[in-house]
Amino acid sequence: MLKDFVGSGAGGLGEGWDPGEASRRDFLKLMGFSLGAAALASCTPIPERQAVPPLTLADGAPLPGVETWYATTCGGCGAGCGLLAKTRDGRPIKIEGNPSSPISGGATCAVGQASVLSLYDDGRLKGPLLHGRPASWAEIDAWIAPRLEAISAQSAARGSGLALLTGTIHSPSSRKLIADFLARHPGARHAVWEPVSLAATREANRRSFGRAVVPSYRFDKARVVVGLEADFLGTWLSPVEIARAWARGRRPEGGGPLPRHYQIESGMSLTGGKADRRLAVLPSELGLAALALIRRVARRAGEAAPDAPDPAVDPRALDAMADDLWNHRGESLVVSGVNDLAVQTAVNRLSFLLGNVGRTIDLGRPSRQNQGDEIAVAELIAAMERGEVQGLLLWGVNPLYDHPEAARIARALEGVPLKISFAERLDETAALADMVAPDHHYLESWGDAEPVEGCYGLRQPAIAPLFDTRAVSASLLRWMGEEQPDAYRHLREHWQRELFPRRFPHQTRWASFDDFWDHSLQDGSCEIAPPAPGPAPARDAGDLAAATASILAAHQESRGQKGYEVLLYEKVGMRDGRHANNPWLQELPDPVSRVAWGNQIDLSPRMAAELGLEEGDVVKLRHGATTLELPVRFQLGQPHGMVAVALGYGRTRAGKVADGVGANAFPLVAVRDGFHRNWASGARLEKTGYSETLAAVQRHSSMEGRPIVRTLTPAELRKGQEEERHDSLWKEWPREGHHWGMAIDLDACTGCSACVVACQAENNVPVVGPDEVTRGREMHWIRIDRYFEGSAEAPRMVLQPMMCQHCGNAPCETVCPVLATVHSADGLNQQVYNRCVGTRYCENNCPYKVRRFNWFRYAGNPRFDYNMNSDLGRMVLNPDVVVRSRGVMEKCSLCIQRIQAGKLRAEAAGEKLPDGAIRTACQQACPAEAITFGDLADPQSEVSRKQASPRFYHVLEELNTRPVVGYLARVRNLPEEEKA
Amino acid sequence: MIADSFVLLRPSWVEGRPTMRQITDDVSRPLTSRPTLGWWACFAAASLALAWGAASATYEVATGIGTWGLNKTVGWAFDITNFVFWIGIGHAGTLISAILLLFRQKWRTSISRSAEAMTIFAVMCAGLFPLLHMGRPWFGFWIFPYPNTRGPLWVNFRSPLVWDVVAISTYFTISFVFWFVGMIPDFATLRDRAAGRGDRWRRKVFGLLSFGWDGSWRTWSRYEMLSLILAGLATPLVLSVHSIVSMDFATGLVPGWHTTLFPPYFVAGAIFSGFGMVLTLLILTRKVMGLERYITIHHLEAMAKITLLTGSMVGFAYLTELFLAWFGGNPYERAAFWNRATGPFAWAYWTMVTCNAILPQLLWSKRARTSVPVLFVLSLLVNVGMWFERFVIIVTSLHRDFLPSSWWFYKPTIIEVGILVGSFGLFFTCFLLFIRALPMVAMWEVKGVAAAAARAGEAHA
Repeated sequence: MLKDFVGSGAGGLGEGWDPGEASRRDFLKLMGFSLGAAALASCTPIPERQAVPPLTLADGAPLPGVETWYATTCGGCGAGCGLLAKTRDGRPIKIEGNPSSPISGGATCAVGQASVLSLYDDGRLKGPLLHGRPASWAEIDAWIAPRLEAISAQSAARGSGLALLTGTIHSPSSRKLIADFLARHPGARHAVWEPVSLAATREANRRSFGRAVVPSYRFDKARVVVGLEADFLGTWLSPVEIARAWARGRRPEGGGPLPRHYQIESGMSLTGGKADRRLAVLPSELGLAALALIRRVARRAGEAAPDAPDPAVDPRALDAMADDLWNHRGESLVVSGVNDLAVQTAVNRLSFLLGNVGRTIDLGRPSRQNQGDEIAVAELIAAMERGEVQGLLLWGVNPLYDHPEAARIARALEGVPLKISFAERLDETAALADMVAPDHHYLESWGDAEPVEGCYGLRQPAIAPLFDTRAVSASLLRWMGEEQPDAYRHLREHWQRELFPRRFPHQTRWASFDDFWDHSLQDGSCEIAPPAPGPAPARDAGDLAAATASILAAHQESRGQKGYEVLLYEKVGMRDGRHANNPWLQELPDPVSRVAWGNQIDLSPRMAAELGLEEGDVVKLRHGATTLELPVRFQLGQPHGMVAVALGYGRTRAGKVADGVGANAFPLVAVRDGFHRNWASGARLEKTGYSETLAAVQRHSSMEGRPIVRTLTPAELRKGQEEERHDSLWKEWPREGHHWGMAIDLDACTGCSACVVACQAENNVPVVGPDEVTRGREMHWIRIDRYFEGSAEAPRMVLQPMMCQHCGNAPCETVCPVLATVHSADGLNQQVYNRCVGTRYCENNCPYKVRRFNWFRYAGNPRFDYNMNSDLGRMVLNPDVVVRSRGVMEKCSLCIQRIQAGKLRAEAAGEKLPDGAIRTACQQACPAEAITFGDLADPQSEVSRKQASPRFYHVLEELNTRPVVGYLARVRNLPEEEKA
Repeated sequence: MIADSFVLLRPSWVEGRPTMRQITDDVSRPLTSRPTLGWWACFAAASLALAWGAASATYEVATGIGTWGLNKTVGWAFDITNFVFWIGIGHAGTLISAILLLFRQKWRTSISRSAEAMTIFAVMCAGLFPLLHMGRPWFGFWIFPYPNTRGPLWVNFRSPLVWDVVAISTYFTISFVFWFVGMIPDFATLRDRAAGRGDRWRRKVFGLLSFGWDGSWRTWSRYEMLSLILAGLATPLVLSVHSIVSMDFATGLVPGWHTTLFPPYFVAGAIFSGFGMVLTLLILTRKVMGLERYITIHHLEAMAKITLLTGSMVGFAYLTELFLAWFGGNPYERAAFWNRATGPFAWAYWTMVTCNAILPQLLWSKRARTSVPVLFVLSLLVNVGMWFERFVIIVTSLHRDFLPSSWWFYKPTIIEVGILVGSFGLFFTCFLLFIRALPMVAMWEVKGVAAAAARAGEAHA
């Protein structure tokens, strides 16, 4: 396509056709094309406003067949990553990180990648609802205005009135709007609900350091990191931002000492798997672990510390950890994801003793990414029960699904006369609302963000609203009396009035606000007057004695109870379940359990043996009044006496994809000191006598002693890997021009699976559903293989992204009878779908088992009722990549469409293709920058340099398949090996 | 003809000294009489199985290969197992008609015709599977190398699947011509017998099929020359076809496939399974069609000896494979064989070893070799064992290969079982129609053997 436009003269499609000699056939062909093109163009919603400045402007208008990029801010979670939305023919089809965003740094997570599909979710509301029936916006506004006024009038007298329950709002303009709205309604209150919150961290910081904030953590500066049940590479706080910083801090080739990462956790997390040393403790012992570290560090610091028993781990491991922390005072970092005031207080003391506060812990640049405050929510619920709330506005929250006391809230809601929801779908909570005024999807919205103080992002629509939805800001403005509310005007005015004046004096770049505004929109983000880091607190005011007492009491309480402890965790794809109706996220296997489509009860094999359970046996987990019925799965690295269950499943009103998948574990969330803690104790397991097959994509976790994922010690790295000699009977293939290759850094890879969803979005990879996944037929072109090494007691998890290795001597190519898989001159192993007859011989002969067969027709087939089965869902398809028919083989193409586009761009510009100009979808998405793609024919390219690393190797190189994709071995930096 | 040099030490290959006319009558009786109840029962069962298979195959082609139990790791299972199984079955027919003809083995005369028919039907069954196993069988013709409008696009001559196409189409052509040519004198006999008023069509059809055979000395002389040439052409096929089929696996790099042992091992296995099938068929038909006089216990014993020989070769190949897996030192190879013998499909492996290598050793005993029930049960077990041999080679090698992350399992679906049953249905339907429509014993050859036996008997007396 692009080639036609640039007209490179290399023989485009139109060459040789002379309009003077147009035959009747040519005329019909052209007429058909024009009609088709006109019809297509008229189907596409036309952008709302001419004021949209796209990042790359091609003569002012989007060209058909040429992509347009819009800078925006992700709405997937509270992290507020800066994004670029790729649109083709007016439709957003792909999300990429915005390289200029200080949060994402150009990367995304799996949720962000998948969020574009939620735009085309048929489960979204198509318009406002009044008492469950479709209504017009005019009716809605006419209905609501007198009611809001009446409440305001009453509340002035009675001291009760409106309440606003929202998710995290780090948008400055929305915060201002809410403040204005609340000001108009005296007595109105605002509470922020997040199902997985960091409220205890903020409260502990307030008590210890006087600032109720979640600080910025400088993972890139920390030489020793201790994670205490904090899955910071997977799900905690701002995973993309942290993973990038964490990976940038590790440069095994640099020659300097490597940072060291310890993890103390109960369930196996991605972060635990990446740790150099992982210690498994029960959830109730996490506090003890923090105290044990305090005691050891305090002894070295010559300070007093309260006495407490050690957790049930090797005390020498704790000694070594404390040594390491102490030796790296001021450049170490201890973080905890336990939402428990006592544990956070203890962690604060530890950070203070180590001198990290103000150095690796930056309180002056706090995060606003998760502002959930369950204590305020509890107060709101109590007020509702007292009948003090006359009207409730729900925005971006679904407490009837994800609050542990959902039933109580449902009862309390009955007493609220006016319930208004802004939900995008008729979810569990919106179903009880009197009126639903659905918000836009973020890709249809104007907006802004301030995820970290001083660091701003903008959001602009990449498409006109698909349905009859309205921005929440427009709804609120309308209800505040504005006749023609306009979300865009409101946003722009806020920036002009509030933000630009703060920024203006500190810069010389922008002459006017218009200039600043247009460029900021185009860039997607800007920093406005970052506050100077405040002085580090001189002392830790946290009450460690009380914290110790609380930790000991919690431990005693848990030990005293019969039954098991339950850890509630988030999966990287499903997170808290708000995007559960997204089929890409449902189909994404969790990288630890490798299970898709549902949650399960993870327990240690030893516990399973004691209980007489086989993998897949369905058990009833009883805790108080809650019962979950889920299959069990064996998880190495989990201590005896606990089970782990993922949150985010068991939706009942999310939509046809999510409803009934898994079970809802939120009711198990425990409340301690008012904070919602992600573990509970005293759960019992009962057999049900039946079993089911887990939708797992990997059933074998041992490498069987094969050198598949290689791990080196720093000493081995210095010595260099032994060069393996492989003689070949074959002559090298003749090559010309480029020689594409890839290097994947297993040391950097966190397993976050953003690449898997990115690939799925880029390459139109179909979703096949739980039954087919169970049969071993998932279609992902890239997968994250996960193995366990070491002993069953102290397993080490290793991960390996695996895709087509594009072998130079490809076993698949020789066996295909119809030449459907062939080698290109630039080193790619190509699959020609049109030519494939589907013998599957290539699949059998592929030693990496990366080929995927279209067992059925996955597009337009009611049996696979996912995004490819409706016109709406198909809008997300990438027009550059063909949708495969049934009966053909497919596999990773190294994003050949991107290679082609990159080459054509360089050709059109008349320049040599620069290194790094072509980025594959997986590489682009990777937060840890673990994937490098480039030209191996150029010895100076980054990929050539990586492939020359002493850590570099090919998987199964003894087969002489000569892949162009290879791996950089992981380095495990254990303290004892350093001494040795 | 060749029957003149009959050796006395050999047993009599035709019992009861039938006259020439009696032989003709005995063999052509089923062609003119009404089918027996036994035949109808067999035919009903066979066509029911065929119908089930046809329905399963239709559903599969209409819906997708996903109706089978295959997955990302195991890309072949029942489909190619059945294919290799049926190709193997065919080999006994070719061996009997071609190699035994060249070695002038008299005992082949009574059984060669039905064995050849079995070959034809088995290759037909086999040929179905490469087509059905394709994701897009409607493009199956793309694997034939011919000038075409798709580029033109040539096939990949490096692919063993293309070699298969060549080997099997050659095999089918030669076998069919050999079978047909063998029937020409008998067609003439049948033409001449169809003298009655109502036999006009029969006379016409057999007249056409017999190519104007006149039974002259010159005709016979040329005919025997042609037979020998065809036998000479077919003989290398006995060795080459299954060698090439084995290369589907041997040229692959899957541990458990990638071995140079496969060609001879597969040929021995093919002949072994073919003789198993011939035994099964003939023990049944000689009983049902009343042909015990022509297909004697001596025939069965001779076949049992070949079964013993080839079964032992197969057993030797199993041991060699195990030894080489250990001796070769390739960890993937070792793991593959360890997994075969002890993994989740160990039951299939040990079924295969028991049926193919251990039980046939019973045939060292003459009592076992001459006991029809023992031979019948053994022949069935040989076929079970040989089916499992291919299943073991394909599925146990594939399901756990290089990267343990992709290790998976395989469980067939009802559709795959249906297609397997359907292939037996097709085979037996064809065979049952064959024994009703064509002379299932080569009359002209048996007459030669019988005449020689008669002469030898007189001389002895």
